[in-house]
Amino acid sequence: MGDHLARADDFEKKAEKKLSGWGLFGSKYEDAADLFDKAANSYKLAKSWDQAGAVYVKLAECHLKLDSKHEAANAYADAAHCYKKTNTKESISCLEQSVNMFLDIGRFNMSARYYKEIAELCEQEQNLEQAIAYYEKAADLFQSEEVTTSANQCKQKIAQFAAQLEQYQKAIEIYEEIARHSLNNNLLKYGVKGHLLNAGICQLCKSDVVAISNALERYQELDPTFSGTREYKLLADLATAIDEEDVAKFTDAVKEYDSMTQLDSWKTTLLLRVKEALKAKELEEDDLT
Amino acid sequence: MSEVFESYERQYCELSANLSKKTSSVSYLDGEQQKQKISEVRGGLDEAEALIRKMDLEARGLQPNIKAVLLAKLREYKSDLNNLKNEVKRIASMNLNQAARDELLEAGMADTLTASANQRDRLLMSTERLNNSGNRISESRKVMLETEELGVSLLQDLHQQRQSLLHANNTLHGVDDNISRSKRVITSISRRMSRNKWIIGAIISVLVLVILLILYFKLAK
Repeated sequence: MGDHLARADDFEKKAEKKLSGWGLFGSKYEDAADLFDKAANSYKLAKSWDQAGAVYVKLAECHLKLDSKHEAANAYADAAHCYKKTNTKESISCLEQSVNMFLDIGRFNMSARYYKEIAELCEQEQNLEQAIAYYEKAADLFQSEEVTTSANQCKQKIAQFAAQLEQYQKAIEIYEEIARHSLNNNLLKYGVKGHLLNAGICQLCKSDVVAISNALERYQELDPTFSGTREYKLLADLATAIDEEDVAKFTDAVKEYDSMTQLDSWKTTLLLRVKEALKAKELEEDDLT
Repeated sequence: MSEVFESYERQYCELSANLSKKTSSVSYLDGEQQKQKISEVRGGLDEAEALIRKMDLEARGLQPNIKAVLLAKLREYKSDLNNLKNEVKRIASMNLNQAARDELLEAGMADTLTASANQRDRLLMSTERLNNSGNRISESRKVMLETEELGVSLLQDLHQQRQSLLHANNTLHGVDDNISRSKRVITSISRRMSRNKWIIGAIISVLVLVILLILYFKLAK
């Protein structure tokens, strides 16, 4: 370990010397870039991620001077990967720089992928709004590259976070669009009922009874098999429970569905919100009467 | 003399008819009664054997012509008796088998016999069994649903990979075009290089010639 560290230090110093000295044949930047690369490798082996990240950034600057944007962007991405292990903010900023460079070159695929990475980092830090922004950028880029599945995945995440942040209309639109798109595809059509269920739950959170029944009919039209599934049954039961403002019925329906397949945490949070709203309404009615 | 023989013969016929009736009925009985009947039949067989021996002695003491007839009859009776004996042996051996099986399964039979004697217990047992099978069915349904979800996510992954592969395919076509273009560019560079070399060679040779000519004329003056 110490051996790598020492070698890395050595390489770095040599590279710095090259940069500051007078290169006769104008090749000093390339040599320096080489040495920086070796230094960064040794730092990675020595597991000192911060120093490795710093060296990668210097490497990227060298490449910029050499006018090879592609290499620079790659170096920034490597730097971001090193920083991921220690300092997320630095890594986000590095990734942004790399994404900008990729956009300049026109490699939208790579930039979309890195946007997605940034969004995931934001998600880890529970910074949902920023995550949504980045996911949207990523989804747009994926869409323009016609890589619809990755775009759909990003959009799903957007809808998830939007629902958590109570932006229900947006979430509903996204889910319905995804469901419509997946119907046409043989591979994806088995996931449609999951999407429709999510959209239905968001509709319930909006607690607009007429809209819910309209939506259920719409979903019926979209996918004829939907009415036979347990998901539809759950949604219909919940809709009637809300109509009749009966909390016990609501809980029963949820328990029945849960006994077959466990509800994941996102659904549980949203359904809990609906239940709270229902209970509040019930209490309100009692107060009035 | 033949009267004694005839009386023996009559006794024997009665006895053998009796015995054959008994052996045929034995197979329909079971357990103790079978054993009883079999021992009876064996006793009967022994008596029949004794009768035949007596008849044999009698027959030998008679005149030769009658002797022949009587001996023939006697042989028939003996074979009949042997058949009977074999049949009895067969039934007895089957019996032994049956008795052993009965003893082995008797232990199992006793429980269900005692349990099914009580109707309420029977009903309880069947309800319990129904419940168990119901539980198992719902568990298997849960497992099936989980598997279905897994399958759905697998399909999504496959779809994504399909798209990446298609994209890579397109990129590679682009790479192919670029490579052929660069090949053309490089060939044109090499042609130009060789052309330049020839031109320079030609110019050098012309210059050398001119210099030689000038020198020649200078010196010739």
